Amino acid sequence: MAEPDFEAQLVRLFSDAPSFPDAELFNAEISAKLDRGWALRRMLIGAAGVAAGLFAAVQIVATRFSSELQVLSRDGARDASSELSAALNRLNDLVVTPGSGEALWLAAGLAVLAIGFAVTRAMEEF
Amino acid sequence: MTSDRSPTGHDVELAALAAAGDRRAYGELVRRHGSSVRGLLRRMGADSTTADDLAQDAFLAGFEQVAEYRGEGAFAGWIKRIAARLYLRRVKREARLVFTDAAQDGDDPAALNEPRTANRIDLDEALKSLSRGERLSVSLCYGGDWSHAEVAEALNIPIGTVKSHVKRGLDKLRVRLAQPPEGARREAHG
Repeated sequence: MAEPDFEAQLVRLFSDAPSFPDAELFNAEISAKLDRGWALRRMLIGAAGVAAGLFAAVQIVATRFSSELQVLSRDGARDASSELSAALNRLNDLVVTPGSGEALWLAAGLAVLAIGFAVTRAMEEF
Repeated sequence: MTSDRSPTGHDVELAALAAAGDRRAYGELVRRHGSSVRGLLRRMGADSTTADDLAQDAFLAGFEQVAEYRGEGAFAGWIKRIAARLYLRRVKREARLVFTDAAQDGDDPAALNEPRTANRIDLDEALKSLSRGERLSVSLCYGGDWSHAEVAEALNIPIGTVKSHVKRGLDKLRVRLAQPPEGARREAHG
């Protein structure tokens, strides 16, 4: 047999995939692993989104609190204990006053949702 | 709402769908090419458990990388390449592979003449008479469509050694595959 003929025969033999009786099981296992991997990925993305949202919320609160402290320190005449007491009162007002606190927590919640949604969509797209 | 029917279409179309996150489309690619990937790994010398594990790993890795498949070649060749590289990495890690130009395990001339009980001499049986280096080189070149240079690079051996492996492997396979099956020989003598 000429070499090219034999090589062509060999290529044909190699291209004939053997049949496996457990082919369906093999396919199902891969599908299950893909599904598990996808579910895990979505869970991790969601967790990352929530963590990022919480971090953002903390940053927002801290920034507002910091600016309030700056206002207090500019006043400067009061003693340390009254200053701290006033700062805590202001922080308390910041959190519980309907006009500011509700808006702040609403913004933080929206930030959590938005970040989680954006990250999830980005991962699905890319 | 999704359909329960398996996606249809050309491999390239299914790969594009899979790249967009369609796991059902990728499942169809697995269904189409799973056996050929498992077969190639066995023909390269992997035992059945290792071959199936690596084939699964290859398909899972392929799903992550499927966006890189642009349809320049056959999808089967692309996924086989991933699987073959996984197997080579495994073999190298286990330090079981010695690629020299000398005869290796399995390079037993007596094996060419030993009686066979199977009625059908097939490629899988014939490949068992090759040394590991010959078997890998022949399988990659003819089953994975790799060039000699690609095999040399993957195995980290000179290209001349790959050519020697391939030539010796082909010589053995030619002899082995030319022999009539045991049943046919019996019939001829009967």
